[in-house]
Parts: sequence; C-alpha cells; structure tokens
Amino acid sequence: MKVIIGFGLVLALLIVLPSVQNVMAAGDTPGEYLDRKELIWGLFYRLMIVAFTVGTVVSGMIVWLVLRFRESNPKAKPTSYEAEGNW
Amino acid sequence: MVLELQKPRPIWQIMFSTHHTDVGLLYLITSLAFMFMGGALALLLRVELFSPGVQLIADSMTYNRIFTVHGTTLIFLFILPSASAFGNYLVPIMVRYKDMAYPKLNAVAFWMIPPAGALIWLGFADFTWYAYPTYSVISAPGPAADMWIFGLKILGISSILGAINFVVTIMKCKHPDLPLSKMPLLAWSYLTSSLIILVAVPTFAAALLMLLTDRLGASGFFNPAMGGDPIAYQHLFWFTFHPEVYILVIPAIGFMYEIFPRFSRKPIFSHSSGVFAFTLLAIVGFSSWAHHMYASGMSFTEKTVFMVGTLAAVPASAMHVFNFLATMWGGRIKFATPIMWAVGGIALFFSAGAGGVVNAAMPLDFMSHDTYWVVGHFHLFVMGTILFGTVGFIYYFFPYVTGRMYNEVMGKVHFILSFIGTVLVFFTQHILGLFGMPRRIYDYPPIPEWVQMNIIISIGAFIIGIGMAIFLVNLIWSSAKGKPADMDDPFELGGKYYFPYQAKNPSH
Amino acid sequence: MKQKGIGKMSGHSNWPEWIYVAVVIALMCYVGAEAWNVERLIEHVPEDAKLITVTGQQWLWTFEHEDGTKEIGELHLEKGEAYRFEIHSKDVIHSFNIHEYTVLMDAVPGRVNHVWFSPNVAGEFDIQCREYCGLIHYNMRGTLFVEDKGA
Repeated sequence: MKVIIGFGLVLALLIVLPSVQNVMAAGDTPGEYLDRKELIWGLFYRLMIVAFTVGTVVSGMIVWLVLRFRESNPKAKPTSYEAEGNW
Repeated sequence: MVLELQKPRPIWQIMFSTHHTDVGLLYLITSLAFMFMGGALALLLRVELFSPGVQLIADSMTYNRIFTVHGTTLIFLFILPSASAFGNYLVPIMVRYKDMAYPKLNAVAFWMIPPAGALIWLGFADFTWYAYPTYSVISAPGPAADMWIFGLKILGISSILGAINFVVTIMKCKHPDLPLSKMPLLAWSYLTSSLIILVAVPTFAAALLMLLTDRLGASGFFNPAMGGDPIAYQHLFWFTFHPEVYILVIPAIGFMYEIFPRFSRKPIFSHSSGVFAFTLLAIVGFSSWAHHMYASGMSFTEKTVFMVGTLAAVPASAMHVFNFLATMWGGRIKFATPIMWAVGGIALFFSAGAGGVVNAAMPLDFMSHDTYWVVGHFHLFVMGTILFGTVGFIYYFFPYVTGRMYNEVMGKVHFILSFIGTVLVFFTQHILGLFGMPRRIYDYPPIPEWVQMNIIISIGAFIIGIGMAIFLVNLIWSSAKGKPADMDDPFELGGKYYFPYQAKNPSH
Repeated sequence: MKQKGIGKMSGHSNWPEWIYVAVVIALMCYVGAEAWNVERLIEHVPEDAKLITVTGQQWLWTFEHEDGTKEIGELHLEKGEAYRFEIHSKDVIHSFNIHEYTVLMDAVPGRVNHVWFSPNVAGEFDIQCREYCGLIHYNMRGTLFVEDKGA
C-alpha cells in the first residue's frame, strides 16, 4: 500500500513540477501581449459552466423534494414522528 | 405571547415595558415600518432608472441621497431589528428563562433605534451606505453626513448592547437541565451572530469616530492631504461589514431551521451539523473582508489570501442547504405560506452563494466590481435569503402574536409575486452588470441593452412592490379581522409545539 | 465521534453529508486554482508597455502620454501596443474603467495604482468612473479611441 501511495506521489510530482514551471514562464514573449479580456471572460465562462451545472442539480433536487414529499402527493405517508406528535 | 389585539392595553404600557415579548413586539413593528419605508425608496429609484433622462427625481444629489438612505434603512433599521425582535420573543423561551438577562438594557437597546432612525431620515446623507473617505471627509455635504455618522454610532451601540444581552441570556441563564448541545438551532443562531457582533462592530464604531474627527478637520486619519490613508477606512469598514453579512444571514437561517422541521413533520436532519456550520461560519466569516477591495490596488498576495478566506466560508453555508433539503426528504410537507418562503429562500440562497463564489475569483473583479452585478448579487442575498427567511417567519409567528390567522391566499400571492419579482430584478441586474453599467448612477447613456434591462428591472421591482402592498394589507386586516387561530396548532400539523405561548406577560 | 453518535441515534447515515462537503471543497479548490492562475497571468506587466498617467478628479479624466501630450476626457491609443496606466486621484476615490477591455482600477488619493492592457480591436470605447464620487459621478465618462498603427 505504502509503495503504491509513494509511487503515486512521485508520479504526481513529476507531472506537477514541469507544468508549474511552464505556467510560471508564460506571458514573457516580447511583442506579444496577453489578451486580458479573453482570459477573464474565459475564466468567467468556465465558472459559469460549473455554477449552472451545480445549480441545475440543486434546483432540480429542490423541485423534486417539493413535488415528492408534499402532503397532497398520492405516495405521501405519515412520518414516523407523527404518531407521538413530537418533532 | 402578546395578544394585544384581543386584550388591549394602553400603548404606553407596552412602550415602557421591559418584558421580552413587549420589547420584541416594539422591535418587530419598528423594523416592519422601516422595511416599507426603505422599500418605497427603492421604487423611487427604479422609476428614475426606468429609462435614460430625468423621470421623477430632479437632480442627482436627491437620487444619491435616496439610495444612501435606502441601503442604510434596510440593513440597519430593518434586518438587524427584525432579527432582534424574534430573538427577544424566542431566546428566553428556548433557554427556559423568564426573561432576557438584562430587561432594562434590552429596552434601552431598542429605544436607541428610533432616534437613530430619525437622524438618518432627517439628515438624508448622500455618501452611500459605506461612506468611503475621502468623499465623506472632504466632499459630502453636512449636516446630513454628520447626522448619518451619529445615527450609525447609536445603532452600533444598540446592537452591541443587544448582543451582550443575548450572549448572557444564553450562556448564563440557560436552564441547567438543557445542555448547550441540545439547545434549538434558532437559539444557536442568536448566540453565534451575537458573538460576531461583539467582535466585528467595535471596529466600525472606531472608524466612525475617526471619520467624524476627520470631517471636523481635527484629525487626518483618512485624508491624504493630512498624511492619512483612505484605504485604512476601507479595511476598518469591511472588517465589520463582511462579518455583518453573516450577522444578518445567520438568524435568517435559524428561522428556516424552525420552519423546515415543523412543516415537514420531522425533526431537523442533523442538529450537530447545524451547530458546527454556524460556529464555523462565525469564525471563517472574519477571513474574507478585503475581497470588497480587490480594485483598490491590492497586491497579488493579499488578493490570494482573501480569495482563499472567502472560498473557505462556502462549505459551512452549503452544509445548511444540505441540512434543509435532508430535512424535507422523507417528510410529509404541508405547504403553508411560511415554508413556501423558506423553500424560495434556499433556492435564492444558492444562486446568491454561487454568484458570491464567482465574485471571490479575483480576476473577475475587473469585470464585475462596482457594476450592477454586485448590486444584483448582494440584493439576491439580503432580499432572496434574509428577507425571505424573515418574512416566512413573520407569517409563521403571526398567529402567536395576534391570536389570529393571516390570510393564506394573500400570503401565497405575496410569495409568488415576490419570488417572480426577485428573480426578474436581481438576475437581470447580474446580466446588466456584465454589460458594464456602474452602480450608483443617476442617469445612463441610451445604450440599447442597458435600456431594455433597466425596463425589465423596474417592472420586476413593481411586482415586488405590489406583493409588499398585499403583505401590508394582510398584516393589518388579519390582525384585526382574521380567523381566530387555534393556539395549540394554528397550522393544523398535528404536533406538539414547544413554544406556543409559554411566555407569560405579567400585564395579561 | 460525537457527530457519529448523534447520527446513529436519529437513525441515518452521515456519509452523504461528508461526501457532499468534500464535493463542495473540491469545487472551491478548482475555482481558487483557476482564478489564481488567471490573475497571475494578467498581473504580469510586459516590460515594453508604454506609460499613460491617468488622473481622476471630480468629475473628469486627464491622460498624459509618455511624450508629455495631455488629453482630457479622450484617450488615443494604438492597436497592438501594450499600455501601462499609472492612476492618480486629485480629490476623492474614483475608479478608472474601460469595460470593453475589462480594465478597472481605483484612483485613490495619496496612492498610485497600476493596471495594464493591450488593445487588439480598433474603434471607440467608453471610459467611465465606477466608484461613487459625488454629484456628477453618473456622467464622469470619457472615450477611448484605438487606432491602427501609423494611422
């Protein structure tokens, strides 16, 4: 087990370190400038994809809960706490 | 509870009372009055922004004054007192004590609010609710600005006194048989938000004093002409007012913790995770204040630290959402008005939270800072989450205070209008912000997208306004003429309530 | 440990909540890493960027080019060059903003702030003030003209 974890760590480092260096060196070419508009809006769109995916799951969950567990649902049955009337 | 309308007393008996239910009633009525006043100002602003050019407000100074007082009123004179109102009613009952720990101090804390409100409304300052120097020091016209400073000073003392009272009531007057870990989550929400107040608010109190002496020319803390630094004020301000967001939202989440189990007919999913999330939020809330200041020239390192601090608060908020949904799961939910507000509240809480995560990502600040995106974001939070939780709880509490039932149809119509209006106004404001419209502007150039979206927003605002008018009618009409409520079970849920009217007011 | 005990008492498992919290934390790590990387890239000012001194005052913008030419309310730049703004304020806090190019930086009295960009589309763009600065804040606007090189 330890060997596998250790091997995994070494492998991860071997991948991570060069890419960090690569990232650090970006944007240094003279005469060619980064397009900040593109970078910022690109980040915005990536975050929106995440936000809307999670938002669909959460709001879908809320709608399903509301429809499934409403009192008037044909499948609704009393909760186990209702017998004592104490919750 | 206080069944004033069934057993009337002279009004001075309530005003000079120190009993917690009486003080709670005073808090509730005052905060509701200020809510309608602040909301009316918002409608004036929306009429003005309906289209480019002058609509209703003749000059930009008046407009600036209106949005300043709108913000100040709704945050300090509506949300904070309304939280104190229900805290006064319920915290003593939940910790099983006869009253608040310091009843006279409690009354004093309340009676500081009307004079502070009067100072703010009679002054009508124009330097926005955050009063950044150097505008507030060298440019804002007095005496309005000075009256605002004194008003806020008084409100700060009032909330510190109130917070001390809640903390002492909970920590020292709690019944010995009731361990802190078993205390209801609503009482926990008051404990944590009061502790945040005690740590955060004194900073702003100090900043206000410095601002005042700066205005008088006696000092130059924030005035670069005298060797000061305006950014220092921003740090002091946001050190108080980012945690303030949690001060405002934690009681609203506490209200939802009462509403969800009651109407789902099932206990809360996990009491301990609620306690943990409240406590975590209270601590982590202090690590994020400077994310409001990314554009003020912060270094990359500072920005990174505060971005991480901001993101760290998200899991705690997300735990509450999980707890609410898991409580509904497997229940048999009666969709009376209060839980409709609470469910709407979590849906909007999620949207506001997702927007908040996007705001925390520092490069996006270049695009969204001080645009309508920010306006949409925090209004979604204060209206969509805090007001929805509070209004839901007002409906829930209505029968206990008045002895009568509110009108269910009107309550539901109010909810539907408010929900549609909130989505229409504040989601559109996010998009408007992406199109670059700055906040706090009296007039805007006729850019077609801006004009279209402003029209949608103004229509949405009036839908909310109609809902609030229905709310007002419902409150007044139902408390006088509503159907008498069964005080053991006004919502016909079939359970035993542990706090219907256990509080005995000596005047009854 | 206590959490587990209470979970068992109320008859449900706590695993879903732990997994949920882990997912939330993972998402936050992703957001933080992405944002950190983009911020790092755009904060890196090119060495050959030309300096433009921007001064905000109630309620207009003044621009000074490297060669000393001054412009009020208008800014003429060349496409494809990099520009570094040095932002000052004479009175209160303003915020220098060219929304089309996502350029934004507060003008704080007593401080000098920096922001840079490189216009890559020719045309006219709005310059506005985004920080509340008083009476005519709403109309503290200017125009950026991006021209093709040598035009």
